[in-house]
Amino acid sequence: MTIKKSEPSVKVLIVDDDNDVLNLLETWLTAEKFDVKRALSGIEALNLVGIYNPDLVVTDLYMEGMDGMALLTELHSDNPLLPVIMLSGQAQIPDAIKAMHLGTSAFLTKPINQNEFLDTVKRVTPSLINKSILNECTKNIIYKSKEMSDIIEMASLVADNDVSVFISGATGAGKEVIAKAIHEASSRRNHRFIAVNCGAIPEQLLESELFGHEKGAFTGANVKHEGLFQAANGGTILLDEIGDMPLALQVKLLRVLQDFEVRPVGSTKTYPIDVRLISATHKNLEEAVEKREFREDLYYRLKVVPLEIPNLSDRTDDIQPLTEHFLANYAKNNKQDYKKFSPDAMKYLVSMPWPGNVRQLMNVIDLCATLSKNKTIPLSLVKKAVHDDPIHMQTLKESKQAFERGYLLSVLRITHGHVANAAKIAGRNRTEFYKLLNQYNIEPASFRDKKNAEKEVN
Amino acid sequence: MSDEKIIIQVDPDLEELIPGFLENRTADISKLRASLDDKDFVDIQSIGHSTKGVGGGYGFDLMSEIGAEIESAAKVKDADTIGEKINQLDDYLQRIEIEYA
Repeated sequence: MTIKKSEPSVKVLIVDDDNDVLNLLETWLTAEKFDVKRALSGIEALNLVGIYNPDLVVTDLYMEGMDGMALLTELHSDNPLLPVIMLSGQAQIPDAIKAMHLGTSAFLTKPINQNEFLDTVKRVTPSLINKSILNECTKNIIYKSKEMSDIIEMASLVADNDVSVFISGATGAGKEVIAKAIHEASSRRNHRFIAVNCGAIPEQLLESELFGHEKGAFTGANVKHEGLFQAANGGTILLDEIGDMPLALQVKLLRVLQDFEVRPVGSTKTYPIDVRLISATHKNLEEAVEKREFREDLYYRLKVVPLEIPNLSDRTDDIQPLTEHFLANYAKNNKQDYKKFSPDAMKYLVSMPWPGNVRQLMNVIDLCATLSKNKTIPLSLVKKAVHDDPIHMQTLKESKQAFERGYLLSVLRITHGHVANAAKIAGRNRTEFYKLLNQYNIEPASFRDKKNAEKEVN
Repeated sequence: MSDEKIIIQVDPDLEELIPGFLENRTADISKLRASLDDKDFVDIQSIGHSTKGVGGGYGFDLMSEIGAEIESAAKVKDADTIGEKINQLDDYLQRIEIEYA
């Protein structure tokens, strides 16, 4: 006799202090073959979670004793990825925003519509996760390795959920690419994705860049400036190299994450913001916390879902598809025929340690494609390119130039292209400042238009 | 008030639940009247809130609307409107006829 193993049912825990609501939800869910357990309070739900191990929790927001928000916090302290649908009889936007930032997968208003409810359950349940979210996450990422596949799967799970994601990985490993993929796969995709490199902006300017400033807040601040948090409202902000953020600013960021509002420099007024925050660093933040260089409370607030991107040398299966992708891009951008590597050259590429990760691989491939006169790139050329291109390390001059350019862009953004004010902040006279702008080919007029003033910072 | 029946179409999956659900709502009418006598607006607001939240899900949209009106009136302690809405809910409950389809 053979016994056919059936698919295990998706387990849903429903929590409400009204039996009529529980009866209704249970009937709808069991008709769709979900396995359902019910709890009449938050405490009863918490006691059941350890035994029942649900795939999804649906809870009312307003309940006697432990309310839905407190239940959510407790549930996520043990399992930050457990999807939770919050139901509320009040359509209050601040509650909904707070719930979403605390990691609620969806917020529905009572009376509940059957189709909307069941669609939401199917959308947020991991084992039923909408393939389109996974596809959105993967469409701009080239990978074949199991290691990256696991990262992408995790990114897909958290994409449509405002939970804080913390991406770690070495320089060039693709932290921003993953952050952007999460944004593109989320319901925030039609709003802006803004990436800020916290290490590239001087400490004095970073606060103003992030939170904005009022007119007259400091010397040279002759116009009001909207910060990047407000510019990204509705969308996603990536704070890259968060480990380089000064301690004084870490306190302010923590407050923003707790209250979902920003207070521009020199202002007494606060502005509500609805922004999904992703942070990234190549540093070991645990060590920074131990050395008291990074606030522990902020660290845990940011690191709800950690994603660690492995080095390229630890996912060698990705090297060939990445190489082919970069070669195709090179051919397209330069309107040339597609070149390929000889088998021994490809083998060599796969065996290299790649300390500069994907970025270094891309540079080496571009160099090889440029230098190769033949359609097949030989091993000798690859060896030369790798040897000639320890690209992962910038020269001191290159680093200085990158910093100077970033600084100039920041002061112009803050002063909305007002050169005299920008020069004053930079401690240079106007003539010297104009020379610097010319040197970096920066046009101050482009910062005078509000739309242009909000360009991505990097 | 009219004697005309109000036909409500309800999902057959909910057939077993409907008698108990309607009994609870009838019990709510008594609780609402008692709370109104005691001027217990907190209790009235709570029952109105629950009625609003649950009625539409079972297919009784008007019940949700009346529940919302009771909740709003309780917030401002408007006893006259509450009394009127309790009567409306009572009348509605007596006139509804369920069709499972």
